[in-house]
Amino acid sequence: MKKIILGIFIAVVSCFGLTAQTPMITDGMMMPKKVLGNGIFYGVDSWKNYWEGTLKRDNQNIGTLTTRSVTWMGTYGVTDKLTLITLLPYVWTKASSGTLHGMAGIQDFTLTLKYRFLTKKIGQSDLHFFSLGSITLPASNYTPDFLPLSIGLGSKNLSYRFTSTYSLKGAWRFTASGAYTWRSNIFLDRPSYYANGQLYNTNEVQMFGLFDFIVRAGYHGPNWHAELFYTQQNTLGGSDIRRQDMPFASNKMNFSKVGLSTLWSVPYVKNLAARIWGSYTVAGRNVGQSTTAMAGLMYMIPFSKTQP
Amino acid sequence: MKTFHHFITALFISFFSLVTSCNNEVNTTGGLAPLQPTNLDENAGTWAPVYVSSYTKYAGVVPAPTDTSSIAYKTELASIKNLQSTITQGQKDAINYWSDGGVLRWNEIFRELVARYNLAPAPLSNNTYPGPDPNNPFGDPQFPFANPPYAARAFSYVSVAIYDALKAAWYYKYKYNRPSPYLVNKGIKSLMPQINIPSYPSEEAVMSGAAQTILQAMFPGAGDEILTKAGQQRAAALQSGRASSSDISVGLALGKAVAQDFLTRAGADGMSTAVGTPTQWQALGDSAKLHWSHLLNPVPAIDVIPWVSLDLPSRPPMLPFFGAKTSPGLGVMGWMMSTSDFINVRPGPPPVATSDSMKSQLAETKYYSEHLTNSREETVLKWADGLGTFTPPGHWNQIAEGYIRDAHFSEVRAARAFALLNMALHDAGIGCWECKYYYYNPRPTQLDPSVKTGTGIPNFPSYASGHSTFSAAAATVLSYLFPSNADYFNGQAQEAALSRLYAGIHYRIDCEVGLVHGQKIGGYTTNFAKNDGAN
Repeated sequence: MKKIILGIFIAVVSCFGLTAQTPMITDGMMMPKKVLGNGIFYGVDSWKNYWEGTLKRDNQNIGTLTTRSVTWMGTYGVTDKLTLITLLPYVWTKASSGTLHGMAGIQDFTLTLKYRFLTKKIGQSDLHFFSLGSITLPASNYTPDFLPLSIGLGSKNLSYRFTSTYSLKGAWRFTASGAYTWRSNIFLDRPSYYANGQLYNTNEVQMFGLFDFIVRAGYHGPNWHAELFYTQQNTLGGSDIRRQDMPFASNKMNFSKVGLSTLWSVPYVKNLAARIWGSYTVAGRNVGQSTTAMAGLMYMIPFSKTQP
Repeated sequence: MKTFHHFITALFISFFSLVTSCNNEVNTTGGLAPLQPTNLDENAGTWAPVYVSSYTKYAGVVPAPTDTSSIAYKTELASIKNLQSTITQGQKDAINYWSDGGVLRWNEIFRELVARYNLAPAPLSNNTYPGPDPNNPFGDPQFPFANPPYAARAFSYVSVAIYDALKAAWYYKYKYNRPSPYLVNKGIKSLMPQINIPSYPSEEAVMSGAAQTILQAMFPGAGDEILTKAGQQRAAALQSGRASSSDISVGLALGKAVAQDFLTRAGADGMSTAVGTPTQWQALGDSAKLHWSHLLNPVPAIDVIPWVSLDLPSRPPMLPFFGAKTSPGLGVMGWMMSTSDFINVRPGPPPVATSDSMKSQLAETKYYSEHLTNSREETVLKWADGLGTFTPPGHWNQIAEGYIRDAHFSEVRAARAFALLNMALHDAGIGCWECKYYYYNPRPTQLDPSVKTGTGIPNFPSYASGHSTFSAAAATVLSYLFPSNADYFNGQAQEAALSRLYAGIHYRIDCEVGLVHGQKIGGYTTNFAKNDGAN
């Protein structure tokens, strides 16, 4: 059962609905065959300073912007090599200062297939390679046109990720993962908008692709593990927030974050695991310098009688 | 297992090909199409000028042209043939761009300029705001801050200047009747739609000269780009065989001369003092109390709650002296309305802040603020037209664009439509701003900080709503121009007005009164239009 416990994870919902920091999606773990996981996670992401283009500043009309989320995560081991992951967060935002209204709602539904296509044994070490495909769809008709208070960006996303994990004696793990995300255009409620240095006389907004990568390193003990990570995301197009303008959905949103994720199997409760995770934005462009903390529980239900 | 592996691999491959096959570039043309007017408006040279004293005053700029059989003119034709033989794809694209109608294109260009320059100054570290400086347009803050009144005024100057300049051009076109080069010499191709109007002076050159002169003054930081656009329009007229180089040089001179007269007016219209000084800002609250005490005799001073800025840090009020010229040395000139006209249609006072009537107004706004449904939010965002956008006047220009395009107006009649619309919008700006600073009434959130807003809270007093006033004035003019669509325009104005209540930034009375006020203001423009000789 320990093997199962160590195969669980936590969702991380950034303020803009990106799954790039979700450990299960970016790490080298799989669900065992015919095991269903159900989890609920609570997260807080907040920032006071943000980057207006490359200029770091604060804004008294926002104060501190806090994004809270409760996320349901479901996972299922279709086979030992294929894991299915779903995420569905409810998100709400609030500005501590100024007059602007907070927003709340169900954000984006994500479905990911994670396939471990190759495993190599090298002495006492293992090398695993994974392919992942994700689809993300807005799960309610929230508006992306009220940033920074919007709960998401509203695009439909398709993402391909490649991950490799090196496991030394089953205890030390090193993971590298990178993904390209294609994003559909979005449609505003207004007939025109200014972006990319020009006026668009349409409500359709081109959303540029994203590239992200993450490296993780950590120790996996029998009942717990801890990993440090560094992640970076770049938007492959889009323009900067103009001086004293509001952010816009198609801005070039880039960031680098460092973080720590930990996991414990909960003592005395079979098949239950807890996870606490946090990150800090060390650099960014057109995003808030956010500090994120998440915590939650995941319960495993094995459906196969052959499982230990 | 092998089959399964292949299945998964195929899944990823099909996924990838789906992604790469998606091209999501957004079309920015705005749906314009080559202009082929249904009516040439040959008599536009007899239509009433808006501002210039007469079209004949530019006779010195538009001398009688050389004959089409002259050597000089034939040399001009030869150079067009030469240009057409070496035309590039970029030049063809420019010709197609300007073929859609110069008046429509310039409207699009100045909407873009407004959206680019509609950004408020950022606060300094000492919590004050620097003022935009016309002598330093590229600084921080950039110049201008093209907020709604600034935008309305800029739209009106460039639209009216183009309109008066084109009527002058029509006057000389039909006086001299010189045909387009492609009609004189069959060796010259017509690369723009063939419109059978005389080409001396060139209408493209006239509007390019008028537009560049006004826009350079209003948006000095974009001067180079404006000159490039204007030059491109003239080049398109020449390379397309529509106008010769003398048609163009004289047209440019005429457009500039007319626009220069408008710049003289602009320099003295009161805009230079509309920002005000810290001492004047201080006095606004007291002067409002005085107005109230005269109107609601006797209103205890304690019942009057003067507006305060809700921006953080507190920001000086937006253009407090943009309003009508009701106090000595202050205020901005209207196009169709005199100072006494503005005073005559100024709305009466709203309920006093402490009254039960105002409390129920506030309660209604608070209700909408706390119940921002999806459909109301869509309305709020549709009409937000806040910072970084082309403002409500720009929005109404965009609405007008589709109707003007579909009506296949001649350039001069399209110019008339935009001029009428933008004069009404400018006058609405003046009337509304005068009303706002006359009563200086607080926003809902000032009376009750728990009223959160679904869009940025504007930095000027509440009564009456600018969106409502602008929209009703615009709808009145557009309903006059396109009467079969009047219900639509008035419906849009209503929606724009209510969007401000839904957003929690206005009371219902602000919106209702603004609509009535705007309609009255728009009526002055339609009265002019009824008698301008264009019908």
